[in-house]
Amino acid sequence: MQAEFGAARGRAGRGRVAAYAVLAALGLVGMVALALRMQQGLRTTALTSSVSWGLWVALYIYFVGLSAGSFLLSTLVYVFGMHRLERVGRMALLSAFFALAGALIFIWVDLGHPERFWEVFLFPNYRSVMTVETFLYVAYLILILAELWLLMREDMAVLGLSGGLRGRLLSLLSLGYRPPADPASLEEERRKAGRWVKILGSVGVPVAIGVHGGTGAIFAVVQARPYWFGGLFPIVFLVSALASGAALVTFLYAVFGERDEEGEALLRTLGGLTVLFLALDLLFLASETLTALYSRNPEHTEVWRAMTGGRYAAVFWIGQLVMAGLAPIALVAAAGKVRSQRLFLGLAGAVAAAGVLAIRLNIVIPAFVRPEIRGLDTAYQGARLAYSYFPSFGEWATTVGLVALGVLAFSVSLEVLPFMETPEVVTARAALLGSRRQEG
Amino acid sequence: MERTTAAPPSKREKRGSLDRTRRNLLKAGALVPAGLAVARAGSTSQAAEAPQSMPALPSAPEGPMLRMLKDLRRALQKPVEQRRWTMVIDLRKCIGCSACTVACIAENRLPPGVVYRPVVEEEVGRYPNVTRPFLPRPCMQCDNPPCVPVCPVSATYKRPDGVVEINYEKCIGCRYCIPACPYGARYFDWGENWTDGTPARQPYEDEPSHEYGRVWRRRGRGSPVGNVRKCQFCLHRVEAGMLPACVTTCVGGATYFGDASDPKSLVSELAAEERAFRLKEELGTRPKVIYLR
Repeated sequence: MQAEFGAARGRAGRGRVAAYAVLAALGLVGMVALALRMQQGLRTTALTSSVSWGLWVALYIYFVGLSAGSFLLSTLVYVFGMHRLERVGRMALLSAFFALAGALIFIWVDLGHPERFWEVFLFPNYRSVMTVETFLYVAYLILILAELWLLMREDMAVLGLSGGLRGRLLSLLSLGYRPPADPASLEEERRKAGRWVKILGSVGVPVAIGVHGGTGAIFAVVQARPYWFGGLFPIVFLVSALASGAALVTFLYAVFGERDEEGEALLRTLGGLTVLFLALDLLFLASETLTALYSRNPEHTEVWRAMTGGRYAAVFWIGQLVMAGLAPIALVAAAGKVRSQRLFLGLAGAVAAAGVLAIRLNIVIPAFVRPEIRGLDTAYQGARLAYSYFPSFGEWATTVGLVALGVLAFSVSLEVLPFMETPEVVTARAALLGSRRQEG
Repeated sequence: MERTTAAPPSKREKRGSLDRTRRNLLKAGALVPAGLAVARAGSTSQAAEAPQSMPALPSAPEGPMLRMLKDLRRALQKPVEQRRWTMVIDLRKCIGCSACTVACIAENRLPPGVVYRPVVEEEVGRYPNVTRPFLPRPCMQCDNPPCVPVCPVSATYKRPDGVVEINYEKCIGCRYCIPACPYGARYFDWGENWTDGTPARQPYEDEPSHEYGRVWRRRGRGSPVGNVRKCQFCLHRVEAGMLPACVTTCVGGATYFGDASDPKSLVSELAAEERAFRLKEELGTRPKVIYLR
């Protein structure tokens, strides 16, 4: 049995090494682009004084959403007791952590003076939503890490005993936690940890809503941009966050999850959740579009026209409507009728998770295409004053590289950390209990 | 960062830099009257001194320019929190020459992508009944500035005299204030230069700007590169007893400047005219740039 498992790992291993090599190579290209950006400043981007936010800000809100969505999904398990989803709880938390880290890196890269980021902590202006958000991100990051540690400390400790590089790393990450030997107190410890996870998760629910709804509020409070301004915006942010989180976990579970009856049922639940959130998102989109267009107010109509008809039309029609809407919904609907349900649901998750990026791009960029005062776009012209934007090669390269490194770090963590009940974890636990019992 | 008052340049240096400035202004296509350049170079060393030491005003018959200068010097006698710097732009007098735009670029040494005072042009009507209205657009120095609360590090704030200032050394360059401005008055310094792509950087690009009474040299990635920038009513000139560059260069005499808290000032009189209006007043920004239609 053990040998068989090893052989399977070996076969998958070659593909994995190749994938890791590709990710590392992309990461390297990205690091070169990032170094150039740091050395030359934001002139390496295609941003202008008129379109002052672009691809990186879109990725920042995308990853904040992915994080908040994954986290809220994990609370379904740890706070609301939806034990059907138990198996993906840790994975969801782990992706919440990596997505948030990604978000913070992207917004940091976007700063004109990245070396001054610490000023937000030293000279905070609490009237700025951005400041409030920065503090929420930190609180949220600590919450996620604390929950992850509580959930995995026992498994990390027992696996840490196996020695080797991974063992040493795991026992380091367990922060010296040693599970008690006798089953009664072990049960007690587990119960306590579970309670703490529930408490942290409960605190985490409003924090995660604040993290992403608040990120929406960064935009929603800007009265000067009617496209952003309004109370619905943070809610739309949250719903698409939930959609992207559920989609990502669906995809991850389809790839890494257990292939048994329970796993298939879990996948169906995840697919259903994804569809629910995507449908809600489409509803909000329809509501916003239709009311805006009905007004015939150019402040609204010009933005929607640029979004649906201009050079970015594909982002709206293919990205937002098909990828983050119709395609995954159709795939999930079809999954019940085909034999390869896992493939369909996994694909739906991947397509939807990527498609939400289109929603994020369409939040940021179209708001900048309309001159603040009619004629300002032609008053004094220059490349850095243009009311149009398409990311530069450097922006793309940095983005692809950072995402590749993030995926690499996430994949390695999935391998190293006991995020699921693999046979290995079960054996290690049993072995520990057995040996302790003999000693006693 | 050096203060403007630090060590006045020697005569020779002054001459050299003046000649360079003049040559390069012409090269850059900036047709600023040379007299202005002389006045500027001559007075930098007095920037932060008491108004008493300012050069005497000419004894010419009093036109609006001289009156505004007198208004300005009277305002400078008052404590800073009692001044309310205000600009009035008479749209009927604006001929759309863009001299203010260019003078501002020369005065503040603005790089590509930054223009504090563009002139918006429109064409209204159909031949033969056509007009071309012009609308110079400086920073409105709002009394309720939407750009201020959004700044995560309080790097932009309203000064006691009402001018919205940016602290270049504090600004982290997040550019949140740019979309927050309903007038599009904020720009980012991308670190580009007019001579990029040409064989040599020209000396005029090393000339410092004197924004906020400080000396700013654009080199590498140091501030103001990587910061948001905008019109500040030429505070460095105003506090040295001079009118903003856009006012002194206005060919049609369309731009007025002064202290609105002084009922005897020219801007107070003009601001009370029936044809006065402000841009996007409905947003509650309360701009201190007043247009006369």
